[in-house]
Amino acid sequence: MKYYLKLGFILLLITAIASGILAYMNSITAPIIAENQAKEQELARKEVLPLAKTFKEISGDFSYFEGLDDSGNKVGYTFVASLYGYSSDVKTMVGVSNEMVIEKIKIISQAETPGLGANCEKSEFQAQFSNKKVDVMAADKDGGAIKSITGATITTRTIANSIKIGLDKLVLSVSKEEVAK
Amino acid sequence: MELAGRIFAMAIAAIFVQNFVLARFLGLCPYIGVSKKLDSALGMGMAVVFVMTLASTFTWLIQHYLLVPLNIEFLQTIAFILTIASLVQFVEMVIQKTAPALYKSLGVFLPLITTNCAVLGVAILNIQSEYSFIFAILNGLFAGIGFTLVLVLMAGVRERMEKAEVPESMKGMPIAMIIAGGMALAFLGFAGLQF
Amino acid sequence: MKLMKELTKGLIKENPVFVMALGLCPTLAVTSSVINAIGMGLAATFVLVMSNIIISLIKDFIPSKIRIPAYIVVIASFVTIVDMLMHAYVPALHKSLGLFIPLIVVNCIILGRAEAFAGKNKVIPSIFDGIGMGLGFTLALIVIGGIREVLGAGQFLGINVLPASYKPMLVAILAPGAFLVMGFLMGLMNLMKKK
Repeated sequence: MKYYLKLGFILLLITAIASGILAYMNSITAPIIAENQAKEQELARKEVLPLAKTFKEISGDFSYFEGLDDSGNKVGYTFVASLYGYSSDVKTMVGVSNEMVIEKIKIISQAETPGLGANCEKSEFQAQFSNKKVDVMAADKDGGAIKSITGATITTRTIANSIKIGLDKLVLSVSKEEVAK
Repeated sequence: MELAGRIFAMAIAAIFVQNFVLARFLGLCPYIGVSKKLDSALGMGMAVVFVMTLASTFTWLIQHYLLVPLNIEFLQTIAFILTIASLVQFVEMVIQKTAPALYKSLGVFLPLITTNCAVLGVAILNIQSEYSFIFAILNGLFAGIGFTLVLVLMAGVRERMEKAEVPESMKGMPIAMIIAGGMALAFLGFAGLQF
Repeated sequence: MKLMKELTKGLIKENPVFVMALGLCPTLAVTSSVINAIGMGLAATFVLVMSNIIISLIKDFIPSKIRIPAYIVVIASFVTIVDMLMHAYVPALHKSLGLFIPLIVVNCIILGRAEAFAGKNKVIPSIFDGIGMGLGFTLALIVIGGIREVLGAGQFLGINVLPASYKPMLVAILAPGAFLVMGFLMGLMNLMKKK
């Protein structure tokens, strides 16, 4: 019995030392990780809505950001659209003007098939979303204006649909916000 | 009905579309190592299903009732691997005492499971995908079934390969890899299935 | 002189991947590009060297009954440290390696070296053994990753190396390609050994 207690004690000691070291490492790296993530999001927002200098988060049923220029005027909105595509969740940062016209989009995370669906990260594909409105937001095979990626109709459809859903929700939330004011 | 549909979709995803071995590359060591004979493949598969389901259950409880409340999520890797190791040891002891017949057929595979990355993999994936308790357990079960399926298929093919004329230098491991490649190619056909 | 031998044996003669077929899961999973291969290789090398050092230092204080759990705790701690550091300083690489960073814990190479070498030898040889085995692992990953990236995308480290008229063999960077490339490479190693 005494022998087993000793074994348990040694194991406990090792684990305790390890936990202590990890806690210290965690206290150093955690703020850096959080800061990186915040910075990455901020950069993506600036990229899709270049006119805006600062962003204000509006959280509710559907959270989005209002983009404000230097003098505090509202220049548009950004939101993250997300749907499950061919083999992964595809997340897209979308920038929209005050008139609900898409400024720019940026795919922020995806793990679609390399060489096919993953081509959605190419700038030619993302560029075609600019200056489009919600009424044409569908893949060409579904009668919309988004030219499908070769061999990756599902990915294209996912991105177009997720943006359409996001835009509809945005319009709804913005009008509610106006009423509340 | 809604729930049954979600469970069905999850089963198809874990067993076929995102098969742990062929699509996610988890649990390759036993997949190549224990697939020479059909009965040992079946035994290993059963043991893995059992441990994966239990591991999903316990690691989920530990994550949500120990690590998160105490704010020590960074200890996840250590906590999970220790849980799995002790679980395997415990299961081995219980089976040995209560079901000697079962122990005889599964016993040799149990110690190997601690270092089967599919077990730790499913535990971490359950947390990352933010599954609820019931779904985490089911995911463990289905992932184990998917593992068993391809392991048994592989063993079936390799038993027949014994009689085939394989070039000397491709015998054993290399040809097993090529077969796995062929199977992965077939399983690729399941990708994109959606419900 | 002897130390040099510890260092070089891992590269070719006892290469952990090609000769001993250890650590297959990460080898196949992360080698869809060379940069991922290097990242994974170096992360595993760090864990290998550090855990070899600690284990060879504390081996005399640990009763042999709890040897394995104690080793696992040491290894899991270093894996967590690597995980945190990569998340903080190379977030893009951390994201693309994903699940396979915590899974370094169950990489058989590391526990295997702890048990076979560091648990029996002094600190200095253990360091060299760790570096050698780690670099051997990295080398194998780079070879596989290189072949797959060139065949599957026409690129090496993201730079186009084949003429634009080359139509990439997509299958090479998908899951089946990993098995096929690995199978042929292992066959090739066997062939060379015979001659």
